[in-house]
Amino acid sequence: MKQWMGVPVASALLLSACVTINVYFPAAEAKQAAKEFVEKVINDADKVQIKETPSGGGGGMVMQTPRARFDAARFDMAGFDPWVLLGIGSAQAQSAPDISIKTPAIQAIQSRMESRFSSSLRAGFDSGALGFTSDGLVSLRDPSKVELKDRVALNTAVADDNRDRKAVYREVAVANGHPEWEEQIRGVFAKQWISSARAGWWYQSGGAWKQK
Amino acid sequence: MPRLMLTRCMPLLPLVPALLLLAAPEAAAREAQLRVARLSTAVATLQQVRVQLRWQDQAAQGELQVWAGKVDAPGLGYHCRDLHWRCPLRRSPTGWQCAGALRSGSLPPLQLALQLETASTRVLLAQGRARLKVEQVAATPDLTTLELQKVPLAWAQALLTQAWPAAQFKAGTLDGRLQVHAPTAAPLRVQGDLQLGAASFATTDAGIVGEQLSGTLQMDYRSAAAHASVQLDGQWHAGEFLAGNTYVALPASPVQFHVQAEQRAGQGWQLPRIEWRDGAALTAIASARLHTDGSLQGLSVQMHSDDMTPLKPRYLSGWMGMAGLGDVELHGRMDVQAQVDANGLAAVTARLEGVDVRDPNGRFVFDGLRGDVGYSAGAPVASALQWNGGQLYGLAFGAATLPFASSAGELRTRAAVKVPLMGGTLGLRDVVIRPPHGEAGMDIRFGLQLAGIDFGRISQALGLPAFQGTLGGSIPRAHYAQDRIDFDGGLNLELFDGRVAFSQLSLERPFGTAPSLSADVAMDDLDLMRLTEVLGFGSISGKLDGRIQGLRLVDWSPVAFDARFITDDAPGVRKRISQRAVQDIGSVGGSSFIQTLQGKVIALFKDFGYRRIGIGCHLENQICTMNGLHSAGNTFTIVEGAGVPRLDVVGYNRAVDWSTLVERLLAASKGDVAPVID
Repeated sequence: MKQWMGVPVASALLLSACVTINVYFPAAEAKQAAKEFVEKVINDADKVQIKETPSGGGGGMVMQTPRARFDAARFDMAGFDPWVLLGIGSAQAQSAPDISIKTPAIQAIQSRMESRFSSSLRAGFDSGALGFTSDGLVSLRDPSKVELKDRVALNTAVADDNRDRKAVYREVAVANGHPEWEEQIRGVFAKQWISSARAGWWYQSGGAWKQK
Repeated sequence: MPRLMLTRCMPLLPLVPALLLLAAPEAAAREAQLRVARLSTAVATLQQVRVQLRWQDQAAQGELQVWAGKVDAPGLGYHCRDLHWRCPLRRSPTGWQCAGALRSGSLPPLQLALQLETASTRVLLAQGRARLKVEQVAATPDLTTLELQKVPLAWAQALLTQAWPAAQFKAGTLDGRLQVHAPTAAPLRVQGDLQLGAASFATTDAGIVGEQLSGTLQMDYRSAAAHASVQLDGQWHAGEFLAGNTYVALPASPVQFHVQAEQRAGQGWQLPRIEWRDGAALTAIASARLHTDGSLQGLSVQMHSDDMTPLKPRYLSGWMGMAGLGDVELHGRMDVQAQVDANGLAAVTARLEGVDVRDPNGRFVFDGLRGDVGYSAGAPVASALQWNGGQLYGLAFGAATLPFASSAGELRTRAAVKVPLMGGTLGLRDVVIRPPHGEAGMDIRFGLQLAGIDFGRISQALGLPAFQGTLGGSIPRAHYAQDRIDFDGGLNLELFDGRVAFSQLSLERPFGTAPSLSADVAMDDLDLMRLTEVLGFGSISGKLDGRIQGLRLVDWSPVAFDARFITDDAPGVRKRISQRAVQDIGSVGGSSFIQTLQGKVIALFKDFGYRRIGIGCHLENQICTMNGLHSAGNTFTIVEGAGVPRLDVVGYNRAVDWSTLVERLLAASKGDVAPVID
């Protein structure tokens, strides 16, 4: 047993002694991954969206379903590895910097967040009761917008969602082999929730609440 | 405030007859006017008062008008502007009467009726169905009686604002009878019985909200310059109430309450006795002291519950929902004593009797909790908690006793604890619990020992293949903080005549979203025959070593690891692999067979000799990068044959989607495979 364990360990030691590998946080990929995640959660109940086409065409505004928009976005993904989407990656695919949010655990959390968003949180954002915080969470910013009978359910939904959010930020970092990226990933997501927010929703900026 | 201005002036109505009396002697003339710059009484001050009476000669009635520019009753919180009352004044057999509209600015008018008799003065104020009757008897000039019928709570807003500036009534009515004693030389006293109908209120930040509160109330309020006191007795019949995260849903059965409160000049309110009696669900008796700014200075509370089942829906749903325990069920009897001082929680003792705590989501169960748990921020206290049994994630544990000692804000075990667990024992020692305090969350440190645990029962409980073995080990230090448990030390599992060692264990979000377990696993000399038997993976004889580094299970499914398994070169061990196992391995590796034999020939042999078997998988991002004994390009050798016929198994395509691999493994264990055979 010792015999076979020793060889790869020794060679790894040898390699690491000679080569310094710098890993930079793949900000662009993280942003793309966060965008996919956030828009899936937020967009679920939006059947029709008006959105600028990301590339090609004559520009301008077109009506698109979320499905069509997602495809359009995929064409624009510079450096995005389609193998990951197909489910079978090549060895090469893993060496390129990529932020994956495709693990079943993250997807399970995502779909839970999606249904929670459409069943309770969206109404809170529409009414102005809820806001996105600057650290990537949700906060009940104006309880007076919520009727008492709905308060406990909304408080619970917010607490559950924040637990899910923290788990996502952590697990995305860990799933990509860099637990130390957790705070950066949280920061990227925090920006994305705000940038994907609909007009009229509230968000936290520099300690104050602002309306988009 | 301006909206309610008119209604806020009701308590001043007894003053109106006084004005009328001033005007009355002039009644014989065609017109009389009286101007008073300032009129002060014990209750209120009126400014810019004008009374005008017109009476046609021989007419049966005259016209009375009263104006008041400013009316202030600072003791009651009422401040009115620009009041005007106009009414026809008639003589009655025993006095005078006048009824007409009372206006203030552009607000909807109230109907004000005045009956002025030698023995008494009566005032009736009405709006819609609301009626407020005020009566004063000449023989007892200090006593005013108020009768209320469907009186909107909004009329009492000024009183509320005075007691609680941030709060506002939203809806509700008052019925009942109040007596106001306002002697000049003695304290103001208000007493009587009231019925509250569907009352709703909220603070401006909506941090404290009540809705549809219905109940009856007996009150006795006294107020003097240096001392104010109030005593309330009553019962609630319905309604809901929220303060921060505390949500109270009042039951249909009546809840009795009693409150005594007093305030001395320059000090905060003292509440020497608060009682709350909600049948078998909860009896609470408390006393509290507040600072002048309303913040809590001290609280002492004793609670008793004969039936904890209703506690969650009635009192705990807000907190339990926030903590992710919204579905947890509580049953049993409980007594709690708690003291809170200016520094926070000073001491708590909870006595439990036959308490069952169950999480329907299967995370934990505690059955038959009894005994006590005592926490002290100061002097030492001892306690002991027992349970009959329970479950953690489906793993059943038996009866145990936890002897606790607490002082200086820590809860420690006084002696080692042994908990029967799956045929063996789980030992806990040196447990130190620090409850959440200020910014710091819950912090628990403990030592853990496992001995003789039947892994077969664990496998069965967790739905794993029927692994048979014994789990043991020692974790001298484990630390829970920030929703994460780190285990310092390791566990050993004796399995298939070999050993499996777990180290670098940590568990994130143990009872939260997607619990994540991390570990390094090393396996030594596992008997392959027994392993393959259990896995339904053909039959291989020999010994297997292996290691799984950086294993991470999220929600109990693997998301990352670097695993490598290889047969041991122990001398004298027979090394054979069955034809079925060859096919299963082939299907898992996505391999095809090469060299020496054609596929058809394989079928002629029951088993083959092998020199070595090795397979590895590095899982990351849902992709397993496979390797074998040795790799070349995109191929890797899993089985190196030995003897005749010699059979090698070579895998192709090293990157495999993890879910595909799991499907292949499951199919192979069910004997449902169709390998590619060249």
